[in-house]
Amino acid sequence: MTIDAKQMEKQIIHMDLDTFFVSVERLHNQKLIGKPVVIGGTSDRSVVASCSYEARQFGIHSAMPMKMARNLCGDVIVIRGDMEEYSKYSKVVTEIIAEDAPLFEKASIDEHYIDVTGMDRFYGTLKWSQYLRKRIIRETGLPISMGLSVNKTVSKIATGEAKPNGELYITNENTQPFLFPLSISKIPMIGTKTYQILRSMGISTIRTLAQIPLEMMEKVMGKNGIIIWKKANGIDTTPVIPYSERQSISTETTFETDTIDIHHMKNLLISMVEDISFQLRKKGKLASCITVKIRYSNFDTHTMQRHIPYTSFDHILIKNTQELFERLYTRRMLIRLIGVKLSGLVGGTHQVNMFEDTPEMLNLYMAMDKMKKKYGSHAVERAVGMRERRE
Amino acid sequence: MKFIVSSTLLLRQLQAIGGVINSSNTLPILDNFLFVLDQDKLTISASDLETTMTAKVEIIKSEKPGSIAIPSKILLETLKTFADIPITFTIDTKSTFSIEIFAGEGKYKLTGHNAEEFPKTPTLESSSSLEIDCNIIADAINTTLFATGNDELRPVMSGVFCQLSSENFTFVATDAHKLVRYRRTDCKSEESASFILPKKPLTQLKNLLAHEDSKVKIEYNTTNAFFEFGNYNLICRLIDGKYPNYEAVIPAENPNKLTIERIPFLNSIKRVSIFSNQSTHQVRFKVNGKELTLSAEDLDFSNEAKERLTCQYEGEDMEIGFNSKFVLEMLNIISTDEVCLEMSAPNRAGLLLPVNNENKSEDMLMLVMPVMLNS
Repeated sequence: MTIDAKQMEKQIIHMDLDTFFVSVERLHNQKLIGKPVVIGGTSDRSVVASCSYEARQFGIHSAMPMKMARNLCGDVIVIRGDMEEYSKYSKVVTEIIAEDAPLFEKASIDEHYIDVTGMDRFYGTLKWSQYLRKRIIRETGLPISMGLSVNKTVSKIATGEAKPNGELYITNENTQPFLFPLSISKIPMIGTKTYQILRSMGISTIRTLAQIPLEMMEKVMGKNGIIIWKKANGIDTTPVIPYSERQSISTETTFETDTIDIHHMKNLLISMVEDISFQLRKKGKLASCITVKIRYSNFDTHTMQRHIPYTSFDHILIKNTQELFERLYTRRMLIRLIGVKLSGLVGGTHQVNMFEDTPEMLNLYMAMDKMKKKYGSHAVERAVGMRERRE
Repeated sequence: MKFIVSSTLLLRQLQAIGGVINSSNTLPILDNFLFVLDQDKLTISASDLETTMTAKVEIIKSEKPGSIAIPSKILLETLKTFADIPITFTIDTKSTFSIEIFAGEGKYKLTGHNAEEFPKTPTLESSSSLEIDCNIIADAINTTLFATGNDELRPVMSGVFCQLSSENFTFVATDAHKLVRYRRTDCKSEESASFILPKKPLTQLKNLLAHEDSKVKIEYNTTNAFFEFGNYNLICRLIDGKYPNYEAVIPAENPNKLTIERIPFLNSIKRVSIFSNQSTHQVRFKVNGKELTLSAEDLDFSNEAKERLTCQYEGEDMEIGFNSKFVLEMLNIISTDEVCLEMSAPNRAGLLLPVNNENKSEDMLMLVMPVMLNS
């Protein structure tokens, strides 16, 4: 039994870049260091995507409406954020990890899990991970925190405790002593709602949660109850799934005020599709599935998708997007958000159609892409979309 | 109704026409073969409403003519297991539709359906007809069938376009990415006509015509076409609609001409395309003087291949991308030792032509559209 248990014991590292977006901004602008900074849309309706530790002292946290953040701290510096720039840094970090790690998973833009089970036969896992973390900090200049433990959940909680810019090693024996005194809110998966339910049951620490009968958890929260209970006991068997290239490109727009102006939305969709289809062509990809999403003012979200022959051309994607939107938007209700996603991507370029694609049009695409590559993706675009963007 | 027939002979004919039967039918009667016994002649038919095929079967002995619909699956499966032995069918065609089969020491019973329920084969009215050698039709089908499209939104392109004139006979197929035009000057029709034949009956014909060496009698009107040869006949509904103006997309003059040995060319593309993206099969053709470089890459798996070939080339150096699957299909069908690839610009059609075709009355043109190259 003990031998089995020993063999089963995994070693999982969780690495999380501290206040990632803010850290990237601080690399570019040293003046931001030590100041309350939040990243997110500048309008009142947008939400905080990331905030510095200084901002957190004022009670600001991510996913909070920007308006509230401003109210909490009048001096807060709001930065629009540049996702492309962040992806670039995220990629650099992933590349460093990919060079050394045997098996890793990119869980989000700033989080990685690495499975180093069995590596202790060659190196000390702790030493190896400390070296990797130092290397990332040295090569990117970004602070990163790390947790090393027996499974993904405990590693992630450990990282949370190690922050900012720290590291924590929790051995199998120490798992429970480490988890038990912590607040249940530290368990990933416990959001505001779940937290409130558990608090109303009188549970505040992981210790109490772990001692609740499993049947009761299932009764209160169903399947998720079982998973949460297991996590509280430091049990998590989900594997580290190898990182793979992302297979979709998408964009979303939240309106300043909810709207029913169909004309405006349709034109906006054109400009959104133009944007992502250029990204598609730039990456040398073709899409075979297109999804349109709308969110009504009451947060009801609806999507509709369609499979199309592989393409990366604006006019085909725009036509399909508009048709999908027309079919999807049937309730005369205010819309809060619209989005488009291209998926089913494969590497390749457009296959010319002898009846539909004229040489003039192909040359036009090539010329437009050349301009966009040289002067930015908005160097040349359809007039309808351009006006909508300005409005 | 009663008859005795050789098991292998019956099986062979059933299999020859069985391809017409759809695997799932809305009309249950279409799951059956129709057997019609008329004096000493047995004819069997299969249909999917669009296409009906009929074959004659030689029988050893018959009594009492009649007709019956027999479930196809159970019949085929049983016949497959027999060695060549005589089989006796005894059928009640009037009330119970029970079928008794005696073969060797075995006796098998199943229930058929009233032959009246089987859809009537349409008859051709105000039709025209002509006769063509089986092997010409077989060649024409073999050459064009692969280029037909699958797009449900454009049904005309799912078939093969046939043009008859006083000068020649032309088969055309295209899916908008590739196009084949197969023309014969040794085969003419007094009156000009054109129609679109669906893919399924052509596939059936292709299989049967390979073994025939007589002539095919073709009858057609505006809605149906009828083929008769050997022991078989086939009638199919034509695809209704206007075929795209394919002549307009065939370039009149492609100044860059690349001539190359077919087999080495085919083998190189085959190898290089293994390393291309397995959904798009894109291969880059770069011509530099007398050197052709084929290259492909699949970024997702870091696969990469590059191969150099010598060729004869007249024209400006150029680079063009093709879906290698299309080019391979074409090279497999052309039978000459050398082929010529005629090109003009990277975003315009390429033409693949046989060089020194021994058959002077055969005019084969294959057109392949390029893929846009990322510069």
